[in-house]
Amino acid sequence: MSMKQEKLHDLTDDMFHPANIDESESEVIAGESTGFWKDAWRRLKKNPGAIIGLVIIFLVTFLAIFGPMMNEHDYRTQELTRAKLPAKVPVLENIGFLGVNGVDIRGVDQYEAKGYENEYFWFGTDEFGRDQWTRVWQGTRISLFIAAAAAFIDFVIGVAYGGISAYYGGRVDNVLQRIIEVLVGIPNLILIILAILIFEPGIFSIIVALSLTGWVGMSRIVRGQVLKLKTQEFVLASRTLGATSGRVIGKHLIPNVLGQIIITTMFTIPGAIFFEAFLSFIGLGIRPPEASLGSIINNGFSSLQIYPHLVLWPSIIISLIMIAFNLVGDGLRDAFDPKLRK
Amino acid sequence: MGRYIGGRVVSMVITFLIIASLTFFLMKLLPGTPFNNQEKLSDAQIVQLNEKYGLNDPVAVQYFNYMTNLLTGDLGVSFQQDGRQVSTIISERIGPSAYLGFQSLLVGTILGLFLGIIAALRHNSFWDYGTMVIAVLGISIPSFVIAGLMQYWLGVKWQLLPVAYWDGFAYTIMPTIAIASIVVATIARFMRTEMLEVLGQDYIVTAKAKGLSSTAVVIRHTIRNASIPIITIMGPLVVGLMTGTLVIERIFVIPGLGEKFVNSILTNDFPIIMGTTLFFSFLFILVILLVDILYGIVDPRIRLAGGKE
Repeated sequence: MSMKQEKLHDLTDDMFHPANIDESESEVIAGESTGFWKDAWRRLKKNPGAIIGLVIIFLVTFLAIFGPMMNEHDYRTQELTRAKLPAKVPVLENIGFLGVNGVDIRGVDQYEAKGYENEYFWFGTDEFGRDQWTRVWQGTRISLFIAAAAAFIDFVIGVAYGGISAYYGGRVDNVLQRIIEVLVGIPNLILIILAILIFEPGIFSIIVALSLTGWVGMSRIVRGQVLKLKTQEFVLASRTLGATSGRVIGKHLIPNVLGQIIITTMFTIPGAIFFEAFLSFIGLGIRPPEASLGSIINNGFSSLQIYPHLVLWPSIIISLIMIAFNLVGDGLRDAFDPKLRK
Repeated sequence: MGRYIGGRVVSMVITFLIIASLTFFLMKLLPGTPFNNQEKLSDAQIVQLNEKYGLNDPVAVQYFNYMTNLLTGDLGVSFQQDGRQVSTIISERIGPSAYLGFQSLLVGTILGLFLGIIAALRHNSFWDYGTMVIAVLGISIPSFVIAGLMQYWLGVKWQLLPVAYWDGFAYTIMPTIAIASIVVATIARFMRTEMLEVLGQDYIVTAKAKGLSSTAVVIRHTIRNASIPIITIMGPLVVGLMTGTLVIERIFVIPGLGEKFVNSILTNDFPIIMGTTLFFSFLFILVILLVDILYGIVDPRIRLAGGKE
């Protein structure tokens, strides 16, 4: 009690000033306003997994673009006298346990044995003596390009199809959804393989094949969201005020679905990378001398026992890409909709 | 319930017929020749072979023959293996694939459920984070990468397990791990989310409040209710498993259906491609149907709504 009284005596008049009773003043917003995107970004920044994922994506993309230019070798020059050299990196070659000193698993310095003492192949060379570093990043470039293109096509078709289906509803919705039911009934793996068989294998046919069924997932998500949104009051209000369909879709529906669309795209990309690698792996993908991560891994498998480095590096890179996109996708999902966070 | 199942079966048959027709016409569009060593055959022989396999008939007649044969379970004969029946080839090859598929599904589901339950019960603990790391890795790392790493380390370097081929249980371990990894990851993640959802429900509080032991609450109320939605992801998982076996059988040189399928693609053996495609599609549709019916049984709301979400 006495403590409290003592404290009360510490309070002097100059610590107070009269409350502002002017109403216009009380309406002023004290803090900086936080929009949807800013809020999401703030939450994403707190997610270590997502940040690691973003850094990996940035690094891998950087290397995919500039990696092939970093040394003097190109991806298609064959030189059988230097085939299957192990990895050798300047400076790091002096640190024994890293295993990048050009010595193979039998303990022979292949660079010396084959007369390439002064050359450096950072990831070694493949069975035709092509520089593996250049090939791996060239392959990453193609894998990423295919994934990005497939994701973009999925995005365009999926958003349009799902949006139209949900917005117009009724008979339109019914017809469009029956078509999807038939499409979904066919295993997409089978459809993709058949499509690739008909077109000649190559980058373009892989992208088309992946997009054949890929957009269905996106269209379902957009349809579900739009169905939910279009009956809400703010849409009704906008319509009542005389907004056209275009305006309602562009100003109210799409921005509200955008979060979901971005999340879905984030998960489409690793899926496409996996499928491309899978197709190259069973011999239906990229044709030599072009390379993708899948075809490089597939080639390496034939000599896995003696030259594991040919499989190791592309495997690590494809795994890192997949992990990174999954982490960022998870992070974005939590950031856009914290309610879902568990 | 009977009406619901009836409707689903009808739509399944229609889907299957569409797939069969689509496969047939796509096969007709394929470039390349179906015969081995075509360049060594004389023109007369090619004409004879075309006649023998009915490739000279109009496409409509071929289609009609194909579909009627299909209804009697006849998938045609292989062009390249001395006219052997495709159905015989499939039945010879299905054994290892089915074994591998079931073993992976079983191991993966049990392990996934276990990890998911532990992670949810020990929420935000070491176990939880460990499970989430395993889940992200399992979903992200392609099965062929896992297979390659295992082949090198376990097979070549440490000589613990046979590198490839199909000759007894030891040969199934590495392929099973490679295929099951995605199953474990998907189920663990899903189960964890469902468990956390259920643990927050009012009826769990009620169960605790009426004095039920925590073991009883977990087993009777939480795990049971959380397991129901797992059925919905089993369909896509089984389908993904089929994709997995194609590659894994190729890597481990397992004489299964997937390996045959990939080989027949590379050698243009049309009847085998068509036969296996239809077989895979049939399995796929059957799995989806079973999953839907099963879900209709455990959750009455589904069948009342006519199977629509």
